[in-house]
Amino acid sequence: MNAILTLRGVSKHFPGVTALDDVDIDLHAHEVLGLIGQNGSGKSTLMKIIGGLHQPSSGEVRLRGAPVRFGSPLQAARAGIGLVHQEQSLIGNLTVAENLFIDKPTDFARLGFYRRTRMNDAARRQLEKVELAVAPDTPVDELTFAQRQMVELAKVLSLEELVDGHLVVLFDEPTSVLTPSEIQALFRQVRRLKARSSVVFISHRMDEVLSISDRVYVLSDGRNVAERRHGETDPDELYELMVGRQRAGSILPRLNPPAMDAGKRLEVRDLTVPGKVAEVSFSVAPGEIVGLIGVQGSGAEAVCRSIFGVEETYQGRIAVEGREVRLTSPRGAVGLGIGYVPAERKTEGMMKGMSVAANMTVTFGSEYGHGGVLLAPARERREAEKWSQRLKIKTPSLDHRIDQLSGGNQQKAVLSKWLLGRSLKLLVLDHPTRGLDPGARADLFNAIRQLAEDGLSIVFVGDTLDEMVTLSDTILVLRDGRVSRRFDDVQSDRPSEEDIVKAMV
Amino acid sequence: MTHRSAISRLFPSLRTPGDLLRTLGPAIVLAVVFALVVSIAPGILKWRAVNALLFDAAPLLILVIGSTLPVLLGCIDLSAAAMASLAAVVAALLMPVLGSAAVPAVILGAGLIGALQGWLIGRLQIPSFVMTLGTLGVFSGLALYLSNASTIGIGPGLGPFDFLGGRTAGMPNAFLTVLAVWVVLALVLRFTRAGRDVYAFGASELAAYMSGVGRDTTRAYAFAISSMCAALGGLMLLSQTLYSAPTMASNLLLPALVGVVVGGTAISGGVGGLSASLIGGLTAVMVRVGTTIAGLPGAAQDVAFGVIILIAVAVTTDRSKIGIVK
Repeated sequence: MNAILTLRGVSKHFPGVTALDDVDIDLHAHEVLGLIGQNGSGKSTLMKIIGGLHQPSSGEVRLRGAPVRFGSPLQAARAGIGLVHQEQSLIGNLTVAENLFIDKPTDFARLGFYRRTRMNDAARRQLEKVELAVAPDTPVDELTFAQRQMVELAKVLSLEELVDGHLVVLFDEPTSVLTPSEIQALFRQVRRLKARSSVVFISHRMDEVLSISDRVYVLSDGRNVAERRHGETDPDELYELMVGRQRAGSILPRLNPPAMDAGKRLEVRDLTVPGKVAEVSFSVAPGEIVGLIGVQGSGAEAVCRSIFGVEETYQGRIAVEGREVRLTSPRGAVGLGIGYVPAERKTEGMMKGMSVAANMTVTFGSEYGHGGVLLAPARERREAEKWSQRLKIKTPSLDHRIDQLSGGNQQKAVLSKWLLGRSLKLLVLDHPTRGLDPGARADLFNAIRQLAEDGLSIVFVGDTLDEMVTLSDTILVLRDGRVSRRFDDVQSDRPSEEDIVKAMV
Repeated sequence: MTHRSAISRLFPSLRTPGDLLRTLGPAIVLAVVFALVVSIAPGILKWRAVNALLFDAAPLLILVIGSTLPVLLGCIDLSAAAMASLAAVVAALLMPVLGSAAVPAVILGAGLIGALQGWLIGRLQIPSFVMTLGTLGVFSGLALYLSNASTIGIGPGLGPFDFLGGRTAGMPNAFLTVLAVWVVLALVLRFTRAGRDVYAFGASELAAYMSGVGRDTTRAYAFAISSMCAALGGLMLLSQTLYSAPTMASNLLLPALVGVVVGGTAISGGVGGLSASLIGGLTAVMVRVGTTIAGLPGAAQDVAFGVIILIAVAVTTDRSKIGIVK
């Protein structure tokens, strides 16, 4: 087999960080190559180098035998390399067809004016390749996430007509926000793709990588530490290779059961958010972890946001420590000792461009000052350092910009923003592990478990059933905005995944 | 090599000489502009000239300082100069009734109006650019209406105005007031919860909101401070001329914003500060003075002003922090 794409001794240095260190990669024709590693291990950087977003600091990239150096994604695209982005790169207010051809020379524009019919016909041909049945003149904003991803893929595949020879298609964590059936649909497309191209596939979910890939590379700390063929390895070995420790027992067991008979931290009665949630009631005891679960649109997220004061129009009653309250803003919720880690880390969770320290102290830093008005920078800094060490945040220093950290470390910093609060009573976590690798996920779970042991109450919406069952004391299953089933004492009496799924759909 | 590492120990964020240039850039630009002006007109170094320059520059500088707060939020206050004119008119009208108490009354009133305007931006979801464009019209119109579109003189011998127009230890009191306001506000920004909320809001309004930062309150006090500084600037103008005119400050609107951006404060919010603005404000003043001293005709002055400002911003902006330029 001849290699389509080879990387030899590729390194990439950023100021203060070595993202890639002497990496060798071969990608063969008609191959799906899996790439796994923790957040910050260099996977995304590698993708960006292949895709032309970054240039290697040293080393060589060869495409079909010839050395190449791409100055931009456009140059890479012209050479037949397309990237399906982790954060999607489509332009929301343009139509599907306009997005498909935005980076290509076209013969259906005359004097700068589109000839819509011809463009839409051409778009339809591209969409057929990925079996996506949407009208080419639909604005991208109106598509689901999975549909947009298929449009991205179609955009990459439409390079075929421009390139002599077959394509290299890169997928950067394509599955992290897809539902299981959407993942199956994506995999079907990836398998079809093999006939006409080579694929590089990044995912945090090891079972996925194993099922789709012909070969897997494991990256750790910017180095290529292992290569395995399909069928030669299993998730446990991969986990060990990438994290450097064994998988089993990575999440602590619950030591102290929560004080269920003590006064309730939070009581929610008949919570209704028009169109999202209907008459949901539950309560949270000190130290209890309540997991909310449901398919997308089940209302679990809206419940979280109501408790944090973001859904201002909710009806029903919410009481914090026995006192009835009306939550109309996050600031009000924070004043009552409620914190919230949002699902949208990049837009709602962290302030990009600011330092890790600034992000950690934004909410409760003033508690370490004088009278809640004057700040005591040294004292709050010490507190931030303490939590940074406890949660093992990997950063050159707390003065580093948060957006330059890996996703897992960003999320730890967002979490510790709340942990600085000495009066924090309840923490609401909305998909806290989205986009995190298994190692970071286990770290975060242990931190959450530890916080609950220390008496913090937690309401949490998870990504997978497995993590819900591992972590929760009580599970509420939501369906169409209502609680369809409730499981108590989850840690001593584990419900089967089947039972939970039955209540979900 | 050794001095590089010494510098990076002192300023950990400075990794390359380029970073250093950008951090010290605004100060370097000011020094270069100053040196140019001195080379054209050495006489400006005389104490009396410096003194007069600072006296004249004080109203603009106080407006620059005030305008910085909305810009740090990623907002903009276009109404500041109109507020300065309105404040001067109202103060002149209130003087006969309230005496010296007119000064705190006007500043307080401006603060309340500014707070209301900041709060309404969030409540009514009107972008600050549009909101303050509207109030710019309202304030200018009010100033014309209240003054019957004419000048109103104030007599000499009124405490606060004698003070603002006077000197202490040879320094113009108006400039000393600028320095005092600058110090106080810089400390507030650096060492109070409210000050830090301004930066958090500017970096990401949504993330700050979701972290418990009060959106409406933060905007309200930033605009309150902007309006209060504007009113103070208006009173300084009044103390210089001893009469109020309904449009006396309107030519300060753009130079005030120029001062903010030349100092290095990003128009998109979250980056920059008051020291930057003070330097930027002085740069704007020096460019103005320089083009006048150089004897350029009026139109050429405007062109030179515009070109120098663009160069200054291009040299000093740290684009890695801002990311998107619109």
